[in-house]
Amino acid sequence: MDAELQKTAKASDEAAQALTQRMRENLVAIGKRRDENAFHDFYDHFSGRIKSFLMGKGTQESVAEELMQEIMLIVWRRAESYNPEKAAPSTWLFTIARNRRTDYLRGNSRIEVELDDELLEVDNSEPTQEDQVGLFQQSQILEQALNKLPQEQRQVLHLSYFRGKSHGAIAEWLDLPVGTVKSRIRLAMQSIRSEIVSEEIG
Amino acid sequence: MNTLTHHLTDETLQDYSAGLLNAPMETLIACHLTLCPACRQRSDLADAIGGISLNDEAVAPVNASAHDILALDKSSAVLEVAAKTPVATGTGVPNPLARLLPGPLNELPWKSFGPGMKQYNLGTQPRKEGAFKLLSLEPGRRMSKHSHTHRELTVDSEVPCISLIATDAPVKFEGLLGKVVQPFVGI
Repeated sequence: MDAELQKTAKASDEAAQALTQRMRENLVAIGKRRDENAFHDFYDHFSGRIKSFLMGKGTQESVAEELMQEIMLIVWRRAESYNPEKAAPSTWLFTIARNRRTDYLRGNSRIEVELDDELLEVDNSEPTQEDQVGLFQQSQILEQALNKLPQEQRQVLHLSYFRGKSHGAIAEWLDLPVGTVKSRIRLAMQSIRSEIVSEEIG
Repeated sequence: MNTLTHHLTDETLQDYSAGLLNAPMETLIACHLTLCPACRQRSDLADAIGGISLNDEAVAPVNASAHDILALDKSSAVLEVAAKTPVATGTGVPNPLARLLPGPLNELPWKSFGPGMKQYNLGTQPRKEGAFKLLSLEPGRRMSKHSHTHRELTVDSEVPCISLIATDAPVKFEGLLGKVVQPFVGI
């Protein structure tokens, strides 16, 4: 990579990490102190993006607005359940928004693993990713890995999460063969995994 | 005990993370994730990618301000989070499935549909939306080959086994089974 590009990539990594850190601190401040300024900052960054995410699956604007407000009210009220050791702030918010959307669209709740399930299998034989690198570091690595992806790979990944589209529908949307879409996503996941592994070793 | 013959694909985990699947498929994936720490870790990664990708999302104009939300907090009742209903213990299947069963596996009103083959229907949805059922196979029974487009995990079991089947599309093959997925019990 040429030096100038490398510099740009590094600056964008640093900006992304600073943002993540700020949002993490915001959530913690809301949870601990009902900090209204922290909520304002969190809201101003995420509300429009959450609304856009909700509209992505074809939900009409007025409904998306209402759901977004409910989601942000959940953020305000449940921030103390946010554990900065366990999830990045964006991950926590994403799962709340997705679950609320599922409730709304389907009329029944999202079905997930129950952590008190007596059949829950826990793998004690090898350290988890969280044991090897702190979660904070892990979300940084992931952000860097996503930033490094070629635009075309990031685009299909984004579409598959945010437009409610199957790989076939993304292919149609972008006017590409479905195999190309699948291989871009596969390549993206390979790069992400190898970034995570190499950071852990190195 | 529980035998996992396959891991979930990245595509399936991403669709699960993005909330694109129907309730039967979600149930099946949640059951698999309960039994498979490796896929659970990959599922967490999928959620994290979803979260980071939020930053790539366009910013839609919003009507409410943060002030409005705080005002809403003061004016609207606190919604109690509905506690999950307790689930019967000792069913031998993960909770997401156990919640749908009236009793233990051996007391279900299984319907025989061939020698050594029984099924218990979980879904009330019309066939066009796919199948959702438990299947019990005695040793030596094999699934016939049939075509699916994606997201299949076929069990060619040599021991008796109970599997959960969920599809999100009708099966092209007429007559038999949807996408066979999660085996639970190989007795």
